[in-house]
Amino acid sequence: MIPIQRFDVYRPISLNDALEVLRREGSGIRPIAGGTDVLVLMRDGKLGKVGKLLDLWPIRKELSYIKIEDGYVRVGALTTIDELCSSDLVSDRRYAGLMDACRGFGAPFLKNVATVGGNIGTSHPLSDFTVAFLTLDAEVKLVSGSGERYVPLKNFFTGFRTNVRRPDELIAEVRFREAPENSSTAFMKFDRRWAHAMGYILCGGFIEFEGSLIKDVRVAFDSVSNPYPERAFKTEEFLRGKEFSEELIREAYTRVLPTEMRRISDYRASAEYRLDLSKILMKRVLLKIRERVGGE
Amino acid sequence: MEIVPREEWDNYPDIEIKLNVNGKDYKVKVKPYERLLDVLRYKLGLTGPKEGCGRGECGACSVIMDGKVVPSCLVLAVRADGSKILTVEGLAPEGKIHAIQKALLDTFAVQCGYCFPGFEMAIKALLDRTLDPTDEEIKEALSGNICRCGSYKRFMKAVKLAAKYIKEGKVYFDEEEVRR
Repeated sequence: MIPIQRFDVYRPISLNDALEVLRREGSGIRPIAGGTDVLVLMRDGKLGKVGKLLDLWPIRKELSYIKIEDGYVRVGALTTIDELCSSDLVSDRRYAGLMDACRGFGAPFLKNVATVGGNIGTSHPLSDFTVAFLTLDAEVKLVSGSGERYVPLKNFFTGFRTNVRRPDELIAEVRFREAPENSSTAFMKFDRRWAHAMGYILCGGFIEFEGSLIKDVRVAFDSVSNPYPERAFKTEEFLRGKEFSEELIREAYTRVLPTEMRRISDYRASAEYRLDLSKILMKRVLLKIRERVGGE
Repeated sequence: MEIVPREEWDNYPDIEIKLNVNGKDYKVKVKPYERLLDVLRYKLGLTGPKEGCGRGECGACSVIMDGKVVPSCLVLAVRADGSKILTVEGLAPEGKIHAIQKALLDTFAVQCGYCFPGFEMAIKALLDRTLDPTDEEIKEALSGNICRCGSYKRFMKAVKLAAKYIKEGKVYFDEEEVRR
């Protein structure tokens, strides 16, 4: 048996216990939720020597929930993708984008162990739920021994796989304001197959309609000009307040999107192809949202 | 490859976990870094779940833990403390084989046989949910499992055949009869 690496595991008995350990040991102990990212990174040798893991699974009873209160939807960080996908939340027309993200997430067995907090915590650009939550203008709740703070998801990332979480903090929750009535979301991911697909491009959208007027709009991608999920603010600005039409979208992705989007070329795809895919996915996402809200 | 000196190995504490596998209770001493897959294969001798990739990308290590299919190569053994696990060996009692296994044989879905413990777990989870899965539901439920021999179409037929057997009440088949 070749173990991926030898390390110790601390199993906290409560959230406070976990925070106490983090306060004491800081970056000497690494939190692990579902493990579908951390264990693979360790196997690839990308995390160097990991002495100790902080297993978050035992505190699922405290951090796994989906609540709607005071106008906010709050999803606990340790909610598994499967739990999120089988909840009533995703059958709400306004949050259909989350259902889209569920469908393409990966294998069924991964959905049973992967968590919402983990998907955001890995801070990888190809994170389905980060893009979907960005369209809902979500915030991340970080807790530590000294208190808690809310960071808007759009300000959460600082670079490739890096974010503002301090070593003594844990992601406890994702929350967003309940979406207005005449709105919906959509999420699409482009890949050559639909199972076990990481995706080349991820695109999520949100539109609040007033008749056929775009009252408010948000568009998020796996990457706009940085190696982490972002919103395309200039494109949103352009679309906001205008009459919805295919010509409008075409103008947005031909004239405005390329001014803010800087794609990279790598072994998977060239920058031109990625930009092209982004345009097409944005069009499809926005049309899908229209279809969902349509006829109001 | 890094040669780890013996002192470093033995510094890690043994943790005793209790788990119920295929209906039997076990008490196992595990190292913190061991995975559920390692415990099942090397400590309990259940070689059904296999390490196809060790990264949660192939589905060959799938087992059913507390009613959900999980990739045992990504589940730490300490996390399995107190859980109920089902592997292929536990699908049917001694001397019998399960309808799913019979269906896989009848449709010749089994070629080299490496992937099908994983498929069996995925199929079991699907058929526990519904005995009338649509083609889309079957494809989605089996989407995590990879088969190097390309038996995918046969797995589709096998799932429907297994559902038919179970609906007819034929959940278990006699192993002796099948072997003949």
